[in-house]
Amino acid sequence: MIEVRGLTKTYGAVRAVDDLTFDVQPGKVTGFLGPNGAGKSTTMRMVLGLDRPTAGSALVGGRPFARLGEPLRAAGALLDAQAVHPGRSGRDHLRVAARSQGLPSRRVDEVIDQVGLGSAAKRRVKGYSLGMRQRLGIAGALLGDPAVLLFDEPMNGLDLDGVRWVRGLVRRLADEGRTVLLSSHLMSEMEQTADHLVIIGRGRLIADAPIAEVLRGRHAHAKVRVRTPALDDLAGALLRRGFRVHPTDGGELLVEGAPAETVGDVALEVGASVHRLAEEHSSLEEVYLDLTGDSVQYKVSAPDLVGARR
Amino acid sequence: MTAATAVRQPARSTEPGTTTVLSRAAGAEWVRLRTVRTTWWCLVAATVTIVGLGAIAAADDAEGTATAANPIVSTFAGEYGVLLGQFALLVLALLAVTSEYASGAIGPTLSWTPRRGVLLAARIAVPAIVVTVVGVALALTADVVALLIDPDLTLPVEDGAGSLARIAAVLAAGAVMAVGAGLLLRSTAGALATVFLLQLVLPFLFQSFGVQWLADLAEWLPGTGAVRLLLDEPMDMSLGHAAALVVGWAGLALAAGGWRLLRRDAG
Repeated sequence: MIEVRGLTKTYGAVRAVDDLTFDVQPGKVTGFLGPNGAGKSTTMRMVLGLDRPTAGSALVGGRPFARLGEPLRAAGALLDAQAVHPGRSGRDHLRVAARSQGLPSRRVDEVIDQVGLGSAAKRRVKGYSLGMRQRLGIAGALLGDPAVLLFDEPMNGLDLDGVRWVRGLVRRLADEGRTVLLSSHLMSEMEQTADHLVIIGRGRLIADAPIAEVLRGRHAHAKVRVRTPALDDLAGALLRRGFRVHPTDGGELLVEGAPAETVGDVALEVGASVHRLAEEHSSLEEVYLDLTGDSVQYKVSAPDLVGARR
Repeated sequence: MTAATAVRQPARSTEPGTTTVLSRAAGAEWVRLRTVRTTWWCLVAATVTIVGLGAIAAADDAEGTATAANPIVSTFAGEYGVLLGQFALLVLALLAVTSEYASGAIGPTLSWTPRRGVLLAARIAVPAIVVTVVGVALALTADVVALLIDPDLTLPVEDGAGSLARIAAVLAAGAVMAVGAGLLLRSTAGALATVFLLQLVLPFLFQSFGVQWLADLAEWLPGTGAVRLLLDEPMDMSLGHAAALVVGWAGLALAAGGWRLLRRDAG
């Protein structure tokens, strides 16, 4: 479990992270979302004790990470896959980590196998692709078999196989009861992988809720897709009732703000035969853009999502 | 989508003691040092310079001053060698620190050893010990090689030990200064320039102008102390003064670099 309490980081006049409070629960994949510069990486760095908070605190497994003697057994992290000495082999990089925790070198070979780095581990990191560096970083995070994992954009630079592999890995890690905090810009990936979302913008908390709740929340606009030969009649009737209606390329209508029942009833009233009627939920991408479009504006209207977990 | 199958308890009852954490951190530093090629290139350069210069000095001497009746102690070979060869070793110590800031590897390093005081101790001790041990061994080699080149030289145990002790002091203090400068400046170019200026360039430059206040200023630089410890020059500086200079500068660099590591963001 990760507990973030009033975490704040200022650089001069800039508040990079502004009074953040949230928990990351075990047994779930928690997606950490926010636009570039929202403070995600800074938050993760403060959780790991790399950067010193201006105010507030962060606990990993109930303790400040910076005081741990065997930190890799408590939390493993991949923050920046490029942050490896280019002249050292991947295996030697992991041997340094293992040595620092008193872990046997057998563990090094195990995680190399686990991430599929194989014989490339003997080569110098200089020649690695970004995808290989991501795998090396993940291997380092897994080395101490930790209860908490932090991954900052782990899917960057991975091909489709790699992305699917990371998705499966974080799912499995969470199902094993570990705490997984995962930041990513890939919304479709997040939608498929995360159970819970923490969304920040301009350093402030925008939402902290189960993903299903975010997708159904007030910033999610359910739409109804309807196909009818009497397109104009139905559209006119819906417009008169104050719903927004968009014709689609496929000769259908997309109705905003009305549940499927209402659309069906209206169609019956105007005598339009319905050939298809389907509710569509907004994608995480749409909700996310809406939420983060103006972080300050939505900060005010966000309490319905903040703290709505469980 | 999920229900937590089993909530893992963080294993923490067996938190190791500081001695264990420090010895592991030092072990990790040692693996770090020997798994990059730069280290080995620096050692090759140090070997060539220290033993090579010592041999040349001995060969030069073989044509001149020492005679069987009036033998000269061969320690000058190692001392001249270290005077220049120390820079290969200081570069080794310095790069061990600054390369991590260049690549960003300081992030993983600190997430493996987040107790910064422990990391500082290991990061100072390991390069300083390696540099000192290697430098003393190479100086001794140079002394012995000098004996082989010029049979008129001699190497009494007492003189040899004294010379190696002074060399050890210069190298240990120099390594600590290099690591401290690396931790403070976090840039290879900046730290390298600083160490070279303080240890080599400025002491000679300031004395070469023939301006008194510049010469006086040179008396306060660590390089002047190092030259005094290695070559017994200038004679008007006491051994204690010279030792205080190199140790003082090492302490200063350590304090400043340590402050940056302990108190500031990882970088």
